[in-house]
Amino acid sequence: MAALTSGAPAAGSTDPAPAGPPAPPRVGADRARRAGRVALRVGAVLLRRALVLAALLAVVFAAVEILPGDAATASAERGDSAAAIAARREHLGLDRPLWERFTDWMTALPTGDLGTSARGEKVADLLRDPFPNTLALAGAAFALTIAASLALGCLAAARPGRRTDRVIGHTATTAFAIPDFVLATGLVLVLSLWTGWLPAVTVADASGKPAEWTMMIMPVLALAVPQTGWNTRIVRGALADQAGAPHVEAARLDGLSTTRVLLRHALPGALPVIATGIATSTGMLLGGAVVVETLFNYPGIGTVLAGAVAGRDTTLIAGSVALAGAAITLVLLAADLVRAKTAGAGR
Amino acid sequence: MYVNRRQLLIAGGGIGAATLVGCSSQGGDAPAPQTTGGAPKKGGTLRVGALGRAGAITRDPHGTQSNESDYLVLSLVFDTLTVPAGKPNTAPRLAASWESAPDLKTWRFKIAPGALFHDGSPVTAADVVWSLRRLRNTKSGASRLPGIQADNITADGDATVVLVSDYPNAELPLLTRLSSFVLKKDTPDGALDKAPGTGPFKLDWYRNGNARLVRNEKWYGGEVLLDAVEITMFETAQAMSNAILAGQIDLASNVGPVAARIAETRKDLRVVRRPNDMAMPIVMRAKDGPFADPRVREALRLVVDRDAMVKQVLSGYGTVANDIMGTGDPHYARDIPQRTRNLARAGQLLAEANFDLGRTYDLITTEDIAGLAESATLFANHAREAGIRINVVKQESGKFWDETWQKGTLYTTYWGTNDSVLFLGSKLMVGDAGQNEAQFADPAFDDAYRRAVGAADEAGRAAALVDVQKIQHERSGYLLWGMADGIDVATAKVQGLPTLAGYGRVQLQSTWLR
Amino acid sequence: MSTPATSTDTAAARRRYARRALPLLPAALFLGAALAGPRLAPHTIDAPVTATYATAGDGALLGGDQLGRDVWSRLLHGGGELIGCAFLIGAAVTATAALLGCLAVLRPRAGRVLERTADVAILLPSVLGIMLVALAWPDGGRWAVITAAIVLGIPFAVRVVAAAAAPLAAAGYVEAALMRGESSLSITVRELLPNLRGTVTALFGLRFVEAVYIISTAAFLQIGPQPPEADWALMIRENAPGILLNPWAVLAPSAAVALLAITVNLATSAPAPAPRR
Repeated sequence: MAALTSGAPAAGSTDPAPAGPPAPPRVGADRARRAGRVALRVGAVLLRRALVLAALLAVVFAAVEILPGDAATASAERGDSAAAIAARREHLGLDRPLWERFTDWMTALPTGDLGTSARGEKVADLLRDPFPNTLALAGAAFALTIAASLALGCLAAARPGRRTDRVIGHTATTAFAIPDFVLATGLVLVLSLWTGWLPAVTVADASGKPAEWTMMIMPVLALAVPQTGWNTRIVRGALADQAGAPHVEAARLDGLSTTRVLLRHALPGALPVIATGIATSTGMLLGGAVVVETLFNYPGIGTVLAGAVAGRDTTLIAGSVALAGAAITLVLLAADLVRAKTAGAGR
Repeated sequence: MYVNRRQLLIAGGGIGAATLVGCSSQGGDAPAPQTTGGAPKKGGTLRVGALGRAGAITRDPHGTQSNESDYLVLSLVFDTLTVPAGKPNTAPRLAASWESAPDLKTWRFKIAPGALFHDGSPVTAADVVWSLRRLRNTKSGASRLPGIQADNITADGDATVVLVSDYPNAELPLLTRLSSFVLKKDTPDGALDKAPGTGPFKLDWYRNGNARLVRNEKWYGGEVLLDAVEITMFETAQAMSNAILAGQIDLASNVGPVAARIAETRKDLRVVRRPNDMAMPIVMRAKDGPFADPRVREALRLVVDRDAMVKQVLSGYGTVANDIMGTGDPHYARDIPQRTRNLARAGQLLAEANFDLGRTYDLITTEDIAGLAESATLFANHAREAGIRINVVKQESGKFWDETWQKGTLYTTYWGTNDSVLFLGSKLMVGDAGQNEAQFADPAFDDAYRRAVGAADEAGRAAALVDVQKIQHERSGYLLWGMADGIDVATAKVQGLPTLAGYGRVQLQSTWLR
Repeated sequence: MSTPATSTDTAAARRRYARRALPLLPAALFLGAALAGPRLAPHTIDAPVTATYATAGDGALLGGDQLGRDVWSRLLHGGGELIGCAFLIGAAVTATAALLGCLAVLRPRAGRVLERTADVAILLPSVLGIMLVALAWPDGGRWAVITAAIVLGIPFAVRVVAAAAAPLAAAGYVEAALMRGESSLSITVRELLPNLRGTVTALFGLRFVEAVYIISTAAFLQIGPQPPEADWALMIRENAPGILLNPWAVLAPSAAVALLAITVNLATSAPAPAPRR
């Protein structure tokens, strides 16, 4: 029991430094072999993540398929004849089997071709501007979330059961229970319509980006606050679980300061849980973007996605999900690394 | 909350030139652009917000337009042959004038003298013919230029275009109001995004639904006052409403009644009401089923509390209607007595028709446009007071249009072009109408319709039009309780805004800033 | 409380018990109020009684909503189903995840399968998942949201439980139990779960509140409860455009949702073992 986190120091490299100065060629071979092994392992992890992404896209493709109606009827005009709709269906390739369309789409992916939307536009073109915009928005919110939730979680854990802890706990819960759209509406009301401090919506300029950086503030807050609430709970919970661990108890009995016990002994052990929790919340972050971007008229993939689902636009949905999924995959990979390092690379 | 596919129908120009055609005036006289700020002044940039969806963007003037923002850009950069107006409901634009042969089949349109493309080249009949044929040959071409084959669009010299209809059609010029955008002959599909138009504004840039347009100094239609128009696309009316409240745009196009009520509390904002913008009738299937008996349909029309509907569903931004579609028509029959609530008479009619009051009837609706589902809910309340049990079923839009529209026995629908009784009659009510929503078939109606549309003389036409409306009022499958106003909100400095319903709102060529 | 304590010992025990029960009180009161609400409402939920977005007063305590219906009456009606659904989702997700999470660490092969499934699910933003489920099942209403929320919530929760259980699985007594050939279920129930109480109760609290969040967001996307139902989430969405006209139409249900989250959180964090002695 006591052994489980003893090897945890997060920053420690697992590669022992070569002892002494052995013959140069041997070291080279060793290093090369080790590098090869590492590359292989990294490659395997990447491949696994890529497969996971492909599986997700298959699921999305299939799910859109069972929605009532399809892109041909969804882009139809009132009064279009059945023949016109059938012609459009043929034109869009919707009369071909599902797996065939999916394979075509997947094989074209590596070339950067995301297919053609239901309305005949290149999906890659439709997402070219929105995707970086969403990355900027979600990235800022994510950074803010990590910083705030670590700080608040540690602050709460430093005074377990006291008022600070309780206040932070309840505030955090409230923060993530309030739906982003309520928060967003409130922010607009207070920071824009009543006070006039910030622009209420995002207006894009000729470059396709928000015309002013102040337009980002409210969308970032609306995304980050619920996430922070969620992640603060995770940080606090993980630290609480660690508080009972023997080596933490031991450190406390040794008379080390609370802060030191927390940061040097409890936090490293809690990192795997924290990393997992925070990483998995990126999905929620991008999901929240659908709502927040729509409300602030932010030109990102959230708005595209919301419209695409209403329009039954399979390739556009899949394209958006592919990009969002790729972004989440990167974050999960980062979390994998943290876990591998701190939990002693269990597998 | 999303602009969905059918929304564009009304919204987008989608449903054929004619559907979008929306111009009307409540009082019957031509609505002058509203102006309060003294003599028109040149200069300034107008920032406009319009609804649209990123995935539905289209740059093809003849494509399926579902975004109001795109339609706004197109109609300022390109010109149509005719445009919506007040009385009469069709006014000249790129076609300076038109005339028909006595048979009402052959129509000749004369191109406005001095009309130039933005690259300086003159507009010829060949350009117009090419553009109209291109429009006719799109997938929805048959419903956009109904009755006009592509081969029957020809040039006569450099300045005259001849359209020959398959059947007499006194309202043919009306069909060219909303989507007959004229491009240069042989514009390749790949170059549509930069194709020069003939309109009052030239394209400066366009990106992801947002655009900036600059004044066309040489517009043949008169002096354009604004330096530039900046168009921002909004996914939701709520975001657009916030934008105008926060001063980020100068004009929120078609933003709706809630924004209007907020704007009315502020001195720096003005509400523009455009009457007869949207009809949201309840459709009762006339062919068979529980509402096949005309007495039952009349009873339901007597059950609804029209004033309450306008007050609650439209927040008061609308007018009571009289079960006749096309309230914005200059020939709308105002002298047919207004039907009002009469529960006693309704009960009597239901009893005579042996209507089953023990059953619950489903009223199917969607949330395609604001207020539609609410109208169904309120109507159900009114019906309950008359002992009719109605259960409101809200369907997802796709399912509604696939399964309920034209097939259901009781459902809500909506139409955005309301300035022609005949157009709606031809589309919805004649026996063989393509979109006969109520499956209404009435020989007397068909006869009156044919007399009206084929009449060469004004008097005969007017008489037949009254018959068309009387029959509708008496026994059609529609319960039209009211008409929603189109509502724009603008800052106080914006002058000369259009007051036409429907797509008349895009006519910003004479708008100026104080 | 009125009977005098016979000994200091029982009094202390009682006080301790009272202190333990205290955090449950707000939740109980709030839930009671939400359930009794419909009986106290002065008006029906679907009849207009005032002008649209009428301000508070004038016969409607909290003003009118977007159809002029009484916000106060709708508020009183609107809690029951939201609470019920959130509870159902929270409980189902937590229970399933607790079992699967432990299974994942005890049986590496099952663990890998679960891990891969979770990986896929985690890449799907829950909002999108709910949209897909609800659109594929248009008549599903609330059940579509509940199903989607459970299915999409489990993978996340499994990972949280697994991450917390992983260190325990390596512990000697669990390994010993595994050696003895005890079933995974019995190890889970006897050895792992008792040590994961903190994680699991906190997880339920989180999942409940998260369920409230998901149901509300779904309602915002017009999925789930349908008009004219009075549902807090639906009320917030329906009335948001009129927030400047009658703020109560939005603030009141928002506050109700927040209160619900806080009281439940208070209750679920109460029985967790206090980290200090």
